[in-house]
Amino acid sequence: MTTTVYLKCQRNVVSSLPDVFLCDVASLRCQDRQISAKLSAIKVHHFKKQDASRCVISTLHVIKLMEEVCPDISVEVIGESDILLEWVSVPRKPWKQWSKVVLVCFICFFGTGFTIMAYHNDVSINTLFGSIYKLVMNREPRGITLMEISYSIGLAVGITVFFNHVGTKRITKDPTPIEVAMRIYEEDVDRSIIETAERAGWEIEGDDADGSREPFRGQSKKHRVDYRKGSNRKDG
Amino acid sequence: MLVEVGKQVLLAVACASYGVLAAAGVFTIFVVIGLLPRFAGRTNTAAYIMRYENAVIYGTLAGTVLTVFDGGWEIGARWQEFCMRNWPEGMNIGNYLGQAFLGIAGIFAGIFIGCLALAIAEMVDSIPIFTRRISFEKGISLSILGIALGKLCGSLIYFFWGFYGV
Repeated sequence: MTTTVYLKCQRNVVSSLPDVFLCDVASLRCQDRQISAKLSAIKVHHFKKQDASRCVISTLHVIKLMEEVCPDISVEVIGESDILLEWVSVPRKPWKQWSKVVLVCFICFFGTGFTIMAYHNDVSINTLFGSIYKLVMNREPRGITLMEISYSIGLAVGITVFFNHVGTKRITKDPTPIEVAMRIYEEDVDRSIIETAERAGWEIEGDDADGSREPFRGQSKKHRVDYRKGSNRKDG
Repeated sequence: MLVEVGKQVLLAVACASYGVLAAAGVFTIFVVIGLLPRFAGRTNTAAYIMRYENAVIYGTLAGTVLTVFDGGWEIGARWQEFCMRNWPEGMNIGNYLGQAFLGIAGIFAGIFIGCLALAIAEMVDSIPIFTRRISFEKGISLSILGIALGKLCGSLIYFFWGFYGV
C-alpha cells in the first residue's frame, strides 16, 4: 500500500553547513511518523569546497531521492517547484556589514534630502506659500510664517504614517512599504536565478542530469550568465 | 482679532494637509521605483532596512527645513558667522568645513540621483525593449557604461555652460 507524503519546499534556503538535508529545505506531512522521520534525514545536496556556493535543485530531484529511500510512497508537491540553495560557510564580518549600512544610510539621507529640495524648487514652494499667505491674510509675509512650520509638521506626519514607524518602533503591525518592496524584489531575484539555471542547464534535475550538464549550444561560456559564483545573498 | 486667528488656523490646516499629501506623493514614487531594496540587496543588508528608512525620513526632513525655511533662517550665513566668531580669522575653518560637507553631500546625492535616474529608465522597461527591438545580445554592460558616461558629460555640460536659469 502506498502512503501519501505531502512535500512543501521552500524557494530560498541558506545553509551554513556543507550538507543540506531534506528537513532544511522542505517540510513534510505523512501519516506514518517513521517514514516521515526517514525522509527528513535524506541528504539533498553536498557542497564541495571548490564548487559553486549556490545551486538550484528541482523538486523532481528531491522526489527521486525520497523514492529511493522509501519506494512505497506517492509524493504530493504543494510548495515551490524549484529550490534555490545557498551555502555561506564563513560568517560575514560585522564591521564590513556596518560600513555598508553606513554607506547606504548616507546615500539615503543626502539623496532624499536632495530630492525633496529639488521637489520644493520645482514647485517653487516659497513663492507658492507667499501667494497663499497674501490671498488669505491680505498682506505680504515677513520672515517665517505659520505655513512653513505647519507644512513641515504635516510632512513629518505624512512620512511617519507612510513608513509606519517612528525610529525603530512600529505604529501598526503591518510591514513597512520598503519591507514589502524588499520581499517582492527578493522574489524577483530568486525567480530570475532559477529561470537562468533552467535555461543554462545547471539545475539539478530529477532524471538524466546530475547538475554538471554542459550549457546550451550556441551560448559561449564567456557570455553565459553564471549566478552560482555570486554571493549576493539578500538577508544579512 | 478672531478673524486673524481663524485665518492663521486655516493656513496651518491647509499647509499641514499639503505636507501630508506631498509626503505621500513623493514617497509613493520612491517606493514604486524600488531603490532601497536594491541598495539592501546589493550590500546584503536587508536586516537593516529600518535604518535605511530612518535615513530616508531624516534626510527628507533636513531637506525640507533647509528649503522651506531658507528665507527666514539663512543657515549658511549663520554658520559662517559662527565660525568667524569661534576660530581665529586666518584659519578659515568654516570655509573648509563647509566645502568638505558640500563635497560629501554632493557625492552621496549624486549616487542617489544616478540610481534613481536609471531605476526610472528601467521601470519603463526601456532597456529590455530596445534590446529586443534591435536584437542586441552582447555588450549590455558596454551600453550601461555608455549611459553612465553620457550622464556624466551631460551633467558637466549643464553646470559649466550654465544651462539652468536661462
